[in-house]
Amino acid sequence: MNTIEVNNISKTFGSQTALDQVTFEVKPGEIFGLLGPNGAGKTTCIRIVLDIFKPDSGSVKIFGNGMSEGKKDQIGYLPEERGLYQDIKLEECLNYLASLKGLSSNESHKRINEYLVRFNLDEHKKKKVKELSKGMQQKAQLITTLVHDPKLIIIDEPFSALDPVNTQMVKDILREQRDLGKTIVMCTHQMQQVEELCDRLVLINQGKSVLYGTLSEVRKTYAGHAIHIRTEDQIPNSLPGMKEIKRLENHHLYQVDLDPEVSPQDFLKLLVAANINIDQFEIASPTLDEIFIQVVTESGMKYE
Amino acid sequence: MNRTWLVIKHEYLKHVKKKRFILAIMSLPFFILLMVAIGFLSVIFQYDNTPVGYIDRSGILENSIDYQAEAPIGFMKPIDFIRYTDESEAELALNNNNIQAFYVIDENFMETREIKVIANEVPDSSINSEFYTFFKLNVLKDLPATISDRVMEGASFEIKSTAEQKSANEDNVLVFILPFLAGFLFIMAVNISAGYLLQAVVEEKENRTMEIMITSISPTQLMTAKVIGNLSVGLTQLVVWILFGIIGISSLFRLFPDLQSTKIDFSFLLLTIMVFIQAFVMIAAMMAALGATTTETREAQQIAGIFTIPMVLPYWFMQVLMEKPNSPLAIFFSLFPFTAPVSLPMRAAFSSIPAWQIIITITLLILFAIAALWFAGRAFRLGMLRYGKKLSLKEIFTQRP
Repeated sequence: MNTIEVNNISKTFGSQTALDQVTFEVKPGEIFGLLGPNGAGKTTCIRIVLDIFKPDSGSVKIFGNGMSEGKKDQIGYLPEERGLYQDIKLEECLNYLASLKGLSSNESHKRINEYLVRFNLDEHKKKKVKELSKGMQQKAQLITTLVHDPKLIIIDEPFSALDPVNTQMVKDILREQRDLGKTIVMCTHQMQQVEELCDRLVLINQGKSVLYGTLSEVRKTYAGHAIHIRTEDQIPNSLPGMKEIKRLENHHLYQVDLDPEVSPQDFLKLLVAANINIDQFEIASPTLDEIFIQVVTESGMKYE
Repeated sequence: MNRTWLVIKHEYLKHVKKKRFILAIMSLPFFILLMVAIGFLSVIFQYDNTPVGYIDRSGILENSIDYQAEAPIGFMKPIDFIRYTDESEAELALNNNNIQAFYVIDENFMETREIKVIANEVPDSSINSEFYTFFKLNVLKDLPATISDRVMEGASFEIKSTAEQKSANEDNVLVFILPFLAGFLFIMAVNISAGYLLQAVVEEKENRTMEIMITSISPTQLMTAKVIGNLSVGLTQLVVWILFGIIGISSLFRLFPDLQSTKIDFSFLLLTIMVFIQAFVMIAAMMAALGATTTETREAQQIAGIFTIPMVLPYWFMQVLMEKPNSPLAIFFSLFPFTAPVSLPMRAAFSSIPAWQIIITITLLILFAIAALWFAGRAFRLGMLRYGKKLSLKEIFTQRP
């Protein structure tokens, strides 16, 4: 049984199409990346999954069937719009929100204290939420997401206000949660984090699903027949098997697209024979960032 | 524990535990006490208990009946009236500050009704009237006691509407005060509670906590809990004020025993409560809807002011409602849901309202309350995640959540 099944959902707001026939599945125990540029429809998609919005058409199944009040306790959600009650003490705020997830007062106090210590927020627990920094508030919100030990964790841009130390800590926590068998849906446009953490992903652009699969499948699909060469010598403009050459940076780094029938091995021999001093030679595997930009610009994203 | 109950408790305690709330609750009785104290103090400082003198040239005050003048406040020393026979003697006393003024009653008072007042400073009007009461008593002293007593006490006016059995006695002050006071309390209660509610709904948006909340409980539970929790805060405030009011009125009764004869009509109270509850729910729901469609507290409060205007409107037309309780305007006011809570009790105090009108008023209020709740539910579901943009009326009616 899949944890989430999103089946052909569409949603329009007035004349604006937010989602158009989006389909994907999230499998138990994986970290799933929900990617897309700003305004692509990621948040709308999550809100439909969580039954905050109703889709115009299509259907969503969570833990095998429709959403219910009981299932809300098994889901931890970190919304993109961060929000805690600003005018009460941090501790009080966290305990209140935990009680709404069905935790008893004792249990929630115990767990929240553990998390506060772990997140270095212990000394701030008597402060009002509005007195905390943005990063601290985000950590506090993450406590709210995790405290009731949910089976499904949905997090929207989890790293946006965090410094590198806290980013690392959150990553560790996410991995730890996955190892505990939790399913995690991570919504982001930071491709580096996706490459590090996600098992599978879907890329949404302008409301449409444009890329879907495991990380390696996606990479393979977009891997070109290209190599990167770093050299201080001049590379001749035409060599046998070389389709195109472009200079990538100022520091003598070139990308060479090869003819499909020429292997990188052969091309290296050719360079050596041509007496070119090579500082670096590698097969160019596209980063997710590059794939992202390529897919998004291909599908005609406008810069707004 | 039930989640709705948890939210109600949280919403309620959040306000009630605050110092600001306790200050707000105490400020009204404190303000009233202050006003009363200032009133008393100004009387005390203005009141001069130096005796007044009089020179009687008319002979009316020969063998005068004694009259104990009344001081404005019980414990103060009443003024004495001192008789002088000679004007220069009185002037001397005046200059020595033995008396604050003296009255010279004209020889032909019965024809001229002239009393001269001689004083360095104009005496308080209450002193003039006390002296005149003393004088009047003596003018009437030869008449039979029953007649003179009637004249001294004056008449008791009873107002009766022509067709119905309803009557209002001028002595029965509560009949006048009660509908006025009930309406006033209602408007206070509505404004306070609605203010809290409005704030509570908008706050959820300002803090961006809406998504967290509705992924924990259902929007209906959240809305219900917010409404109950915040109305309870307003009610708590009101109950405390009413308690203060009861203490105040009972001490007033002790000071002025005359008021004790007044009684409150039970059916009047029942009618008032029937109208108030529906209207309360209606306005609260509208406030909640307003909170859900706007994005900032300040903006919402400005719009909320618009609801208050129709509610206080009947006060401007109070005279019409009291004097012609069955005029078309009065009937309209008591039927229209927004003006009904203040107008209907006011009309009910001065005339008996036909049953069909009461039924229409209450039915209209119930219908409006249901419509407002439906509207609020929709606005809430649609507007809860709108952060920058306001929700338009058209969207509430046409869009699906």
